[in-house]
Amino acid sequence: MQSHNHNQVTEFVHIIIALILGLFLLGGGANLGISKSAVDLLGAVLSVPEYPAVILRGAFLSWSEWVNNKDEIYVKLKLLQDENIKLKALNSELMKDKIDAGLDANLREARVTLRAPSSWWNEIRIDRGERDDIAEGLPVFNNGFLIGRISSVSLMSSWAELLTSPSLMLPVVIEETRELGIIEGDGTGRILLQYIPAGRGIKPGMNVNTALIGEDVPPGLPIGKIAEELTPTPDGYAVYRVEPGADLSKFYTVSFLSLNKK
Amino acid sequence: MLLLIILWILQDLLTVLFGGVMQLPELFLMGIVYKLIAEEREDKLWAIWTAFFGGLLWDLRWVGVPGFFTLGYVAVVALILWAWRVIPVHGRTLWVVFLLLESSQFIPNLVPVLILGGSTGGSFFISQQMYALPALLICLYLYSKQAEQQE
Repeated sequence: MQSHNHNQVTEFVHIIIALILGLFLLGGGANLGISKSAVDLLGAVLSVPEYPAVILRGAFLSWSEWVNNKDEIYVKLKLLQDENIKLKALNSELMKDKIDAGLDANLREARVTLRAPSSWWNEIRIDRGERDDIAEGLPVFNNGFLIGRISSVSLMSSWAELLTSPSLMLPVVIEETRELGIIEGDGTGRILLQYIPAGRGIKPGMNVNTALIGEDVPPGLPIGKIAEELTPTPDGYAVYRVEPGADLSKFYTVSFLSLNKK
Repeated sequence: MLLLIILWILQDLLTVLFGGVMQLPELFLMGIVYKLIAEEREDKLWAIWTAFFGGLLWDLRWVGVPGFFTLGYVAVVALILWAWRVIPVHGRTLWVVFLLLESSQFIPNLVPVLILGGSTGGSFFISQQMYALPALLICLYLYSKQAEQQE
């Protein structure tokens, strides 16, 4: 019993000492100047076992931020996509206006003087030449759509190679998707769009315009529309048939861009 | 003692992991209280000083100012020692044990609020008790098993 009481008193004394020490630390510990060093030291020691927890917390917070903001990110992405489409459309409009203005200012008419049956889909001769400010490489139009390029020029006449010619390859752009490809004729009246990777969402009805070709042919000149997708090539590229905007089987006059800029 | 060290580190790691997200239970102090209640040892001084140094380390690690949890932990141990001595053996029911274990969760977090004031409201304590409940129930289960064996 006496030992029991002795234990109680000892405990009581130790508790009082511990509480006084606690109060002393609370009152003056922060001002002793050692607590900051002790905090730093303890933090450094514990940083080793805490490292996996820190990594886990970082991963958890990243994941939870992603989950919480997922819908918001999707909405923002959709807004950006819409904005991008609108900007592309606006850019196309501006480009078209610029081209139209250029075409209106410099467009001149020419008459088709020869279209040989042996090269029906390849070339035509027109009644304008050097004296009319024609030069090689200039675009030739019919009904407002590109149908070919001037391939050779003489004093009073010129030859234009048609889009249906297998030897005329032009870089083009799909207006809606901004995909780039090459068009070339197959010599039988068809125009094929090639070198676009399969599965890019290109659909019939999309507009095909010229891409940047050179100084003589500005980008954005209308050519026609996608008509259908043909069998993809074995190397993963899709082939599309392009329906030209102009009627290439029957035309008697063409327009061309004159070098004489007014 | 090894168990208490493990509990302190576990509590520290859980605070690193979930600090700011949820209110974490005072696992270390719960371990001390459980050992005090479950182990019938004459010498109880180890509990006072383990609580003191555990609280001091906690202050240095998470509060930055020593004293808050040091005082809180020692106060809880003092309360348990007093209560366990005052309550007769037949009155040491599971409810009493539950309340004593619960005090280990409540008092240490109350000390900073009492001293400094602040915005810590009832919801803080309620959520902390809820998160502590599983560990508390485990301690109760272990205590009841031990009491059964002793009987």
